[in-house]
Amino acid sequence: MDSYFDLLSVLILLSSFILVSHKRIKSYIKTFRIQSALIALTAGIMGFHSLASEGSLDILLVCAIIILLKVIYIPRLLHKTYGNVEYKVEKDFFLNIPLLIIICCALVVFTYFSVSGISSLSADHINLQVVNSFSVILIGFFFMISRKKALGQMIGFLVIENGIFVTAMFSTHGMPFIVDIGIFIDMITAILIMGIMVVQINEKFESININKLRNLKG
Amino acid sequence: MIAIINNLIQLLVILLLAPMVDGLIKKSKAFSQKRQGAPILQMYYDLFKLIKKDSVVSETASWIFKATPYIVFSTTAAAALLVPVTTLLPAVPFPGDIILLFYLLALGRFFMCISALDTGSTFGGMGSSREAMISSLIEPSILVSIFTIGLIAGSTSIHQMMVTMAAVGNPLFQPVFILTFLAMLIIILAETSRIPVDDPATHLELTMVHEAMLLEYSGKHLALMEYSAAVKQLILITLVANLFLPADQLIPFAGSGGFLLSVALYFLRVVLLSAMIAVAEISTVKFRFFSIPNLAALAFILSFLGFLQYFILGR
Repeated sequence: MDSYFDLLSVLILLSSFILVSHKRIKSYIKTFRIQSALIALTAGIMGFHSLASEGSLDILLVCAIIILLKVIYIPRLLHKTYGNVEYKVEKDFFLNIPLLIIICCALVVFTYFSVSGISSLSADHINLQVVNSFSVILIGFFFMISRKKALGQMIGFLVIENGIFVTAMFSTHGMPFIVDIGIFIDMITAILIMGIMVVQINEKFESININKLRNLKG
Repeated sequence: MIAIINNLIQLLVILLLAPMVDGLIKKSKAFSQKRQGAPILQMYYDLFKLIKKDSVVSETASWIFKATPYIVFSTTAAAALLVPVTTLLPAVPFPGDIILLFYLLALGRFFMCISALDTGSTFGGMGSSREAMISSLIEPSILVSIFTIGLIAGSTSIHQMMVTMAAVGNPLFQPVFILTFLAMLIIILAETSRIPVDDPATHLELTMVHEAMLLEYSGKHLALMEYSAAVKQLILITLVANLFLPADQLIPFAGSGGFLLSVALYFLRVVLLSAMIAVAEISTVKFRFFSIPNLAALAFILSFLGFLQYFILGR
C-alpha cells in the first residue's frame, strides 16, 4: 500500500520535472493533464481504501471531482483560451532548460533538508511522500516565475494547487470533504478569471508575453 | 577453470545474439511503418559480406585509423566478458567491474573519435565532436545511476548488484529503481545512437553522429565497427534487463534445467527491452542537436532523484 503511494508521489514529482523541461504551451497542458490523472489515481486508491476500512465515500467523491475538473474541464478550457490568443513562436523562458531543471533539483534537495526536520513526519514513507509533494509546490512556483507567457503562468498556478492538494492528501490520508470542495471552487473561479484576463491582455497588447505589459496603453 | 568456461559461454551468447537484437529493433520499426522490412538475420549476412571484402584506407591516414577497428572490437568484447547473462553464470566477479565496463566502452569510443579525426575528412571531425559532446553530457547520469544501485547493493560488482536486485523482487514498483530505470533507458538511447539523439538509419550530413565517424571505413574494418556497435547495444540491454527486470528469483529448480530456463528468460527480457527501444524510437522525433542537453539534464535528474529517494528512505 505505502509503496504504491511512494511510487505515485515520485511519478507526480517526475511529471512536474517533465513540465519544466517542455517548451510549448500545448505540451504544458498535456503534462498537466497527466499529472492530474496521476493525482486522481492516488485519490482513487486512497478512496477505495477508506471505503473498505471506514465505509466513507468522501475521498472517492473528491477523486471524481478531480477527474471531471482537472483532467477534463480545465485542460479543455486552457486549450480554448490558447486558441483565442494570437499564436506567436517566441522563447518562453528566462533561463535555458538544463539550468531550469538543475535549479528544480536543488529545490527538491532544499525541501528534503527543510521538511525532514519536522518531527511529526518522521515515519519513513510519509516523509518521502511529503518531500516529493512539497517539492511539486516549489517547482510550480518556480515554473510560474520562469515563464514569460501568461498561459504558462496559469499552468504554474495549477501545479501549485496540485502540489498543495497532494501534500495534504499524503500527510493526512484524506482531508474533510468540505475543505476540498472549498479549494476546488476557489481554483475554478481563479482559472475562469485568469482565462478571461489572458484574452483581454491579448486584445490590449497583441501578445500574452508579460514582458510587454510594461508598455503603456491608453 | 569453471569460471573461465562460464565467461566464454556468456561471451559467445552475447556475441552471437547481438546482430539479431539489432535486426529485431529494425524489424519492429519497419512493422510500425507498414513495411516488410529486412529479415531479422540481415545483419549477419551483411557482416559476412563485408568481411569478405577488402578495406580501402586513405593515404593520409596513420596507424590509428587501421588499429581502431581492432581496439574498438576488443574493448567491446572485453566489456561483454564483464556482464553476466544470468546470475547463475558468475563470471569472475570483482569489485568495481561496472565502472570498468563503462570505461572500456568509453575507451573504444575515444579511439573511434580520434580515428574519425585522423583521415581529415570534414564529416569525421563533425561526427567526433558531436559524439564527444553527447558522451560527456550523458556520463554523469551513468555514474550517478550505477552508484545508486551500487549503494543499495553494497558493492560495485555487477554480479552482486544482480543478486541484490533479484532479492528485491519487483524493482519497478519502487521509487528508487523506477527513476534509475528511466534514466538508464535514456542512457541506452544516447549511448547506442538511437533516435531522439542520433538516427542510426540516416546518412544526411547535417544530422548523422555515429555514422559520420564510420564514413571512411569499408570492408573488414567497417564490419568490425558495426559489429562492435551491435555488441555494445546488447551489453547495455543485458545490463538493464538483469538489473531492473530480474527473473532469476522465479526459477524453481537448480541444475542444468534451471540454467536453460534462466537463459530462456534472458532472451525474453532482451526481446522485451528491444521492443521498448523500438517504441521509443517510433514515438519520438530526432531532437535538434542543441536540444540534447535538455534530454541529458532530464536523464541526470532522473538518476539524481533516484539517489535522493534512496537517501530519504534510507533503504
